[in-house]
Amino acid sequence: MLEIEDLCLIPDSAPLSGKFRDGEITVVLGRNRSGKTRLARIIAGFDRGNGGRLLLDGSDITAQAPGQRSVALVYQAFVNYPSWTVAQNLASPMLAQGLARDLIKERVATIARQLELSALLDRYPEALSGGQQQRVAIGRALAKSARVLVLDEPLVNLDYKLRESLQLQLRALLHEFDMTVIYTTSDPRDVFALGDTVMLLADHALVQTGTPLDVYERPATPLAADLMSDPAANRLHEGKVLRMVRPEHLELEAHAADDVSFATTVLGIETNGSETYLHCEVDDLHGRAQWVAKINGLIDDQPGQARTLYAAAGCVLEFASDV
Amino acid sequence: MSEIVLDELSFRYPDTVENTLDSLDLQINSGEAHALLGGSGAGKSTLLNLLSGLLGVQSGRILFDGLDVGRVAPHERRVSQVFQFPVLYEALTVEENLAFPLRNLKDSASGRRGRVDEIARRLKIDHLLGRASKNLSLFEKQLVAIGKSLVRPDVALVLLDEPLTAAEPAHKWELRQTLKSLQREMGATMIYVTHDQTEALTFADRISILHDGKILQTGSPQSLVDLPAHEHVGYFVGTPGMNLLDGEISAGFYQLAGSPLAQTDSVPGPCRVGFRPEHCELSNVHPTGRQAVAVEILSKRTLGTLRQEQIGLAHARLGTSEITSRQTLSNLNVGSGWLSVDPARVMGFRDGWRIGEST
Repeated sequence: MLEIEDLCLIPDSAPLSGKFRDGEITVVLGRNRSGKTRLARIIAGFDRGNGGRLLLDGSDITAQAPGQRSVALVYQAFVNYPSWTVAQNLASPMLAQGLARDLIKERVATIARQLELSALLDRYPEALSGGQQQRVAIGRALAKSARVLVLDEPLVNLDYKLRESLQLQLRALLHEFDMTVIYTTSDPRDVFALGDTVMLLADHALVQTGTPLDVYERPATPLAADLMSDPAANRLHEGKVLRMVRPEHLELEAHAADDVSFATTVLGIETNGSETYLHCEVDDLHGRAQWVAKINGLIDDQPGQARTLYAAAGCVLEFASDV
Repeated sequence: MSEIVLDELSFRYPDTVENTLDSLDLQINSGEAHALLGGSGAGKSTLLNLLSGLLGVQSGRILFDGLDVGRVAPHERRVSQVFQFPVLYEALTVEENLAFPLRNLKDSASGRRGRVDEIARRLKIDHLLGRASKNLSLFEKQLVAIGKSLVRPDVALVLLDEPLTAAEPAHKWELRQTLKSLQREMGATMIYVTHDQTEALTFADRISILHDGKILQTGSPQSLVDLPAHEHVGYFVGTPGMNLLDGEISAGFYQLAGSPLAQTDSVPGPCRVGFRPEHCELSNVHPTGRQAVAVEILSKRTLGTLRQEQIGLAHARLGTSEITSRQTLSNLNVGSGWLSVDPARVMGFRDGWRIGEST
């Protein structure tokens, strides 16, 4: 288990503590410049945090150099050695560790099989697709046999479709290796697709930690609700209360007696062919709030039209007003 | 703005054996918002460069309002472009940036000024005109870049190359709304190039799916989802993509592993059977009154909850194929189970193309 104790990501940021358990994937979710990459680099030993300690299985690794600690890091821009074949790339961390050649060969074959790279071992990185290159980069990190694998936004430079298929494959793949995995992202979809635990980060500080479902259903703050939502959760200020509803929880019809209704005026609609994004305005204490509802199927509301939206009572989140 | 026609347009890079673009035919109407959707290597960038004139036409024609622009120099094509990252003169003010494309026009200074003011007002950036561009947020910079692309009154075509990539998720919606309303108000012909289906489908009136240098289908968002012309369109559009399994048509039914799934009057024989994750359901108990195929349920993944029900994706195996469904998960367990599909939503493919599709 990897533990962080009272670590400040930057000077004057709130100290951060957390546990990353063996065999679990922890997804660190935050927007740009929230401190995700900083956290990844501190865990890997490339940056020093301010104060605090890093413990791996109880022993303090805070002062260890990157090469000394059992941590492997995969970057956004996947880096492979261009003049080496896939097999040589996968073998490189083991050569550096001075392992026997037979053992290296065997482990390269195993990792290649698990990552579906067996047919590509003699190729050079330039002859691989983006997804294949990223699998090689992950393979190199796995070859290091580190206890902790840190993936810093590993899918961010990939195509939408490739990203979608890798999201689904990665979870099974990472679980096979029984490492402690820390995966940073700004995409809330990654949390459910990959995470056993989610850690929300904002302004270099921890917002909330829990299982994806728990954080989704019971966000601790309005910011936590927004981070786990795409598009952001809708807000309505009523007196001292801020009510929030996720776009996917708004419906066109009531289904229960205690459903909450919202009178809206349609601003416009967008469709992706199977869902409709209904953009609308709701009267608010502070004027008009802009909302988005994500509705299954296609509707053709016109701008200016009145439209009542409904949400199950349990789906309306309430917070003390932040204004 | 102009009508754009591609007429048997092909392109091959030197020292390669295959066409990067292969005989593209496409008509984009004047004032249309069109999207080109494809993965990396599909040929999107090559097509953009041919339209803007950075690459010369080798074979076939590109017509702007009926005029062959193959030999027209890039700067005379009246094509403007918006890139992933806003391209601005950082040392100039917003106003100077917006006025820059007008510098060679014969308009009076007041005419140019009026044009800049109008664009700034439509983009709601009039309050930023005096600001130095380097002090703007990324979102504001991209608004200015969009303004620059539309400021010339004689622009024929606006090319947008993944213009929302750099925007934060919360701003993407706003930027797309602004772009769309501007496109409509000004009657601009726009071609929006992206790998992101949500962006393509929500922006465009019509979308062309580009794959391996070919246009597989051009249509509305709904037609691409409901009636994909090709297996790849079924896979590429929709999240996750369409399930595609080896099956057959016999005795008037689509069949998987010898079990009937849905009725069809198409010609019997082997085919690929396709259906979307949102149109099928996995269950542990045989669904009464419906056709169902025995499968092994492998896993489930929660994506959210609605009214106390967990909803998400479930995965199952049938022979060597995998199936994904989007459904409620609360009563579903890993183990033996059944697959049923909305019979109206099953379709067959042969040689890649949908049965009944005229190609």
